[in-house]
Amino acid sequence: MADLRLVLVTPEKTLFDRPVASIRVPMFDGSAGIYPARAPLVGRLGIGELVLNGTDGSSESYFVEGGFVQVKGEQVSVLTNGAMPVSEISRASAAAELEEARAEKATSEEELNSLARKLERARKLVSMATVD
Amino acid sequence: MANARSLVKRLKSVRNIRKITRTMELIATGRFKKAMDRATEAAAYTRKLSEIVGDLGKADLKFSHPLLEERPETKKSVLLVLTSNRGLCGGYNGSVLRNTLRHIQQLKEDGIEYTLEVSGKRGIKFLNFQQINIDRTYTHFEDRPTFAEVDELGLRFVDDYIAGRIDRLDVSYTRFDSISRQEAVVESILPLSSLAGDSDAKDESGSGGNVDYEFQPTPQEILEELVPAAFRAKLFKCFLDAAVSEQIARMVAMKGATENADEMAGTLKQQYNRARQASITSELAEIIGGAAALE
Repeated sequence: MADLRLVLVTPEKTLFDRPVASIRVPMFDGSAGIYPARAPLVGRLGIGELVLNGTDGSSESYFVEGGFVQVKGEQVSVLTNGAMPVSEISRASAAAELEEARAEKATSEEELNSLARKLERARKLVSMATVD
Repeated sequence: MANARSLVKRLKSVRNIRKITRTMELIATGRFKKAMDRATEAAAYTRKLSEIVGDLGKADLKFSHPLLEERPETKKSVLLVLTSNRGLCGGYNGSVLRNTLRHIQQLKEDGIEYTLEVSGKRGIKFLNFQQINIDRTYTHFEDRPTFAEVDELGLRFVDDYIAGRIDRLDVSYTRFDSISRQEAVVESILPLSSLAGDSDAKDESGSGGNVDYEFQPTPQEILEELVPAAFRAKLFKCFLDAAVSEQIARMVAMKGATENADEMAGTLKQQYNRARQASITSELAEIIGGAAALE
């Protein structure tokens, strides 16, 4: 079986570049799984959880904020605006962020859009938070 | 002897200054390395983005997006000026601000309304002194701008441009070409001229070969998301370039200052030795003269 290689890049740095067994990415309309020998794909990502299963059976998950995924042969590239390991999300800070977003009032259309983005991000963060 | 003493004083202060400039040079070197690493890391993202753009190009698709379209008439523009918060970095701020003034003059001549946004205390001080109205100021971008901070501006520009509140975005900053070459430029980054961004990224997309991609959702919708991302990455790159160039400029300036101090200390030391010798000689002459008078 061919290997998969995941490259996770944000505008600031390359977070992850090593072989993996399988990946689950948050697409714009739901999760999608990627196994070795998948057909080439370019897709848009939503906000959510990226889960990767390492070649040694371990699994890790990251919180990603939109972006793109590109599958080409054995290489999977994930471009995202921001990513952090799920183990670093604390419940308290996620809840605080949601609270803050809720308190905000939007008056114009753009503000409404950006508020919606913030709310979605905060809700996903809350649902994924694991540590206190 | 008074002369020799004043020389000693000056010599001491020159040596002290040398210590300070030497330290600043070392600090700038360290910061430059860090900034440089960040810039290279960021390049990976731009490279990938242009790869995807290349992939999209193979799909049958017309590249049209509000951010790519040039407006027939430019009425309102935003000028973003990136300077440093700290001085002592040679001609770094000077050349950016000179360019900025020239550009403002040009805008006035063309009758284009402009909003001025300045980052960095040096630029703010200078433009205030020139009595030029600044609409927004930022001083929180230090030598390590984060993407989240820059993105706040990026998102606002994208919204403003699409809504038609601005027709052009120019950035006056120092572009980083190589370690030995940085240039102060005024660049228009909205409307986005090319998606591929940099010339060095272009060959990357060409080497992709013919891969038949599946697009989710559609190439058009991906493009809609991709264009703003490319713009934001470009804006971020401007900030990173400015940060790297600032450190290089400071490094070079401080190196020059240290060398100068060395040279000055050498001359002063020589002058001091001469003054000391002269005073000894004259003292001896006095004693010998006195002894000769007694005989």
